[in-house]
Amino acid sequence: MGATITEKILSRAAGRPVVAGETIFPDPDLVTVHDWYVVNFDKALMELGVPKLFDASRVLICTDHEPIALSREAAARQKAVREIVAKYGIEQFFDSGRGGHGHVFPMEMGIVRPGMFVFAYDTHVTNYGAVGALGFAMVTEISEVLACGNVWIKVPETVRVNLHGKLPFGSTFRDLAQKLTLDLAADLIDYSVVEYGGPAMAGIGIGGRQTLCNTPLEIGAKSAIVEPDAWTLDYVRGRTDKKFTPEVSDPDAKYKAVFDISLNDIEPQVAAPPRPDNVMGVSKVEGIKVNHAFIGSCANGSFEDMQDAARILRGRRVHPDVHLLITPATNEIAAKMASDGLYSIFVEAGATVGTPGCGPCASGRISPLAAGEVSINTATRNDRGRMGDPGASLYIAGPLTVAASAVAGEISDPRKFL
Amino acid sequence: MDLIYEGNCWKFGDNVSVDSDMTKKEFSTQRETRHEVLKDFLMCGIDPDFAKKVSPNDIIVGGKRFAQGNPHIQGLLGIAANQMGLVVESIQRGSYRNAINAGVPFISHAAGVTQACETGDRLRVNFTTGLFENLTRGAAHQYTPLSTDLLETIRIGGWKPMVKLRLQKMGLIPA
Repeated sequence: MGATITEKILSRAAGRPVVAGETIFPDPDLVTVHDWYVVNFDKALMELGVPKLFDASRVLICTDHEPIALSREAAARQKAVREIVAKYGIEQFFDSGRGGHGHVFPMEMGIVRPGMFVFAYDTHVTNYGAVGALGFAMVTEISEVLACGNVWIKVPETVRVNLHGKLPFGSTFRDLAQKLTLDLAADLIDYSVVEYGGPAMAGIGIGGRQTLCNTPLEIGAKSAIVEPDAWTLDYVRGRTDKKFTPEVSDPDAKYKAVFDISLNDIEPQVAAPPRPDNVMGVSKVEGIKVNHAFIGSCANGSFEDMQDAARILRGRRVHPDVHLLITPATNEIAAKMASDGLYSIFVEAGATVGTPGCGPCASGRISPLAAGEVSINTATRNDRGRMGDPGASLYIAGPLTVAASAVAGEISDPRKFL
Repeated sequence: MDLIYEGNCWKFGDNVSVDSDMTKKEFSTQRETRHEVLKDFLMCGIDPDFAKKVSPNDIIVGGKRFAQGNPHIQGLLGIAANQMGLVVESIQRGSYRNAINAGVPFISHAAGVTQACETGDRLRVNFTTGLFENLTRGAAHQYTPLSTDLLETIRIGGWKPMVKLRLQKMGLIPA
């Protein structure tokens, strides 16, 4: 019996061949921790009496959830994070302004490469699947990983998704990703890895691949991964000289299910409150007034997403009743936005351009909503209170729909603006 | 030693949110873990007085995708703080781990359990064997229990005592 990408990567990490269903203790190539949780893992290790990490060279810390401290408490936490990083001798520390979003810049910098296995204290580590790496979130037990070097997991089954065709005019990969949360039922996806392949992948760049790997976890997937292809090898070799071993599934690999999905008829999709899989065509919610809009997050903070926003915002003004915040995921994307003229398009349109990182998606620490306000955004989740007051309403959509809605002051079909 | 809870049933539907239904969202973002703080806010997003009504050994019964959302542990710690058990039709996987880590005895895939009881029924659940008894109705259902090693983690109180033992076995902290 052949093996899936996931089984191959976890076999290497476990030091022996493994198959779906087994409980194993895989050794990660990298462990990432974001922002203030550094303070929490340090506290946990001190309470347990553990003086050092299993391997500080395999740990990466980044400041992305609140890249600019917005309170004295946050400033104190950031100071504590810097002290803790020094205490444990962690060299891969990407503080504010040094990298950006931790689910994105490690791929840009060639730190995360095909075939790697990563544990992270944050659920959207699944993004690393964009380059053929396998990321598993580990929340409470990240302290155990940091102390012992691993933690138990059950090897997940894989659901294969073959993509065919081409997105129609006015649709984005976020629209496809949201439609997939409907088409791949939550009961099936539960604790599975979504593995993407198929002929359409050749036309999908880093932004689209990240978006596709980002959303499945919202319906219970353990992770997501794109089968490495010629695009992957070009992208990674353009960014690092370090060696890597891409893994692809065997032709006779055992899948839990296989889907063939056509991109040809994907229309703009919106997820209405209160869950990201409450997905519907944009026509169902057109006309709902909005006060707040956001383009960014680990799902949609790529340069391609910024280009999509600019397609709508060039020469237009954001509606007077709307605050539009645009947050590039990383410093590299921010620099390219500036050099390619996107930054001025956004500012001239009346948008605010934020510091690279999560933006308001990280529980609304930045630009939260007040009770009764309505946001349309490209964030990852839309549960009550996710972005400020629990009395605010959060709609999730692709960057074209968000930009169009910000201009119109109400949820709008972007195809009318292109 | 069996993990047997006998108490009142408190039934919820599908898609109970771990952050906005099961606790105060602020506790999740503040990473609050103290039982004494979380205890009184269990299920406060659905019923602010819920914690006042329940007793130790009572059982929460949930539908599909129980504890869905960003996998914060606070809602599960709230169940542990009230010394309650949990039986659900399905549970989001991050919350599955967090229920173990919080030391909550639970049955993770009890198909049709929401049809087998109502709030107020007297239940007896053996979490070691998976036997679910509705004493009010005089009916019993057999579900698949958690594996022995996961039940052992729950029995000793969750992740922290378990990881202490692991660190001692690895020689990373004194026995």
